[in-house]
Amino acid sequence: MNIGIIIAGVLTLAIYTFLYKDNPVYRAAESLLIGLSIGYALVIFWQTTLMDRLFEPLFGDGELLLIIPLILGLLMFGRFGRKTSWLSRIPIALMIGAGAGVAIPAMLYARTLKQMSASVMPLVTAGGGFDIGGLVVVAGLLSTLAYFYFSREHRGLMGGVARVGTWFLMIFFGATFGYTVMSRLSTLIGRVDFLLTDFLHILS
Amino acid sequence: MERLKIRWIIFAGLLLVVVVSYLIDFRFGSRPSPQVQKCYDYIESLPDSAVVMISFDHEASSLPEIQPIALALLRHAFRKDIKIIGLSLFAEGTAIGYRLLNKVAGEYGKHYGQDYVFLGFKPQYISAILGLGESIRDVFPEDYLGRSLDSLPFMDNIISYEQVAMVISIADGDRTVHWIEYGNARYGQEIMAGLTAAMITSYDPYLASGQLFAVVGGLKGAAEYESLLGQPGKGGRGMLAQTSAHIYVIILIIIGNIIYFRNRSRQGRG
Repeated sequence: MNIGIIIAGVLTLAIYTFLYKDNPVYRAAESLLIGLSIGYALVIFWQTTLMDRLFEPLFGDGELLLIIPLILGLLMFGRFGRKTSWLSRIPIALMIGAGAGVAIPAMLYARTLKQMSASVMPLVTAGGGFDIGGLVVVAGLLSTLAYFYFSREHRGLMGGVARVGTWFLMIFFGATFGYTVMSRLSTLIGRVDFLLTDFLHILS
Repeated sequence: MERLKIRWIIFAGLLLVVVVSYLIDFRFGSRPSPQVQKCYDYIESLPDSAVVMISFDHEASSLPEIQPIALALLRHAFRKDIKIIGLSLFAEGTAIGYRLLNKVAGEYGKHYGQDYVFLGFKPQYISAILGLGESIRDVFPEDYLGRSLDSLPFMDNIISYEQVAMVISIADGDRTVHWIEYGNARYGQEIMAGLTAAMITSYDPYLASGQLFAVVGGLKGAAEYESLLGQPGKGGRGMLAQTSAHIYVIILIIIGNIIYFRNRSRQGRG
């Protein structure tokens, strides 16, 4: 049997021992997972970013402008010293400024404006009928907004509409939870498939 | 101790239900959902040699759900002689994406560099998504294997999103949102998604607004796609286990509620 499959099978069982109770075998497997994930990410970042995009072009091809990001990157390490920690504010300020500049217009458009325009829909179909789906969207939108409107007390009509909003929220949470259960069960099924097929060879 | 025992019984029961039902090779004739049908029809409608970009934006832990979706989509694309550009915006997805692409390419006799390429991983996903809209070569001067893109015949006429029919983001988190926010909103690039079930409701608003073209969601979505393809896979195989486990969970919820209401009425009388 492939040594990789044996290790994967043993580690899968080690992780599942947590279902009995917290124990050293589980903690060892968990630590291994965390360490490997970080190590793998570091290697990928080193190769695809630092080597390919910085060190090789700078020291190999002589692209001297790359000294600027190199210095900015090194300034980040200033955080490790009390006297030098202020240096890290320069690259952080640049990252936040550039990040916000790029993200704000895009998010405003994609998450707010496009969503608002998609929410404004005709309640009457082209054939003259009543669009039940559209009505549900409008009712859900207005009642949920009413629930999160805290500048006025939730009493009377406002209270009734806000209560309808909680129903819509509960339906959303229920659907999301149902999908999450489905997702976690799929992960379990995947592991069972691995154990029965590759590890124990019960299934072909 | 009593509580622990009940917990063990519940877990053992779930494991038993999943293992026994997985051992039974029974496949439901699942009717495809409109979303899966839309994805399938779209890929079916693409002409030969159309280019599709598939981004593996997920962790290894979501592989049981993600892999059947990715395999079904890749098989369909290669069967239709569609060209594929693979990449990853999530470090862990890099090796997985490369392996899956090579596996399915091998099944269909496709050649690296002619029918598909894998560009590898790029950090700073926002700048990567924006950069791909200007020039793929600027973001990925070389492929995953370190070869210049100019040396690959596949990439001869591919400059940016202009030559890409669809971006398919296979994700277990919010990376697809960034494809929508930057790829779709800025460049008008059509985005399709293969998602874990847990993420589906997060993307419903984008589906409703048309910002996201369609979604293949979870193991069930994979099973539906496999049945449309006529190629059985892990998605279909897992459906009986998933249905059985759901029934088990529903029964537990009903029992829990009966116990809760019975105790409440007893307390009320007391």
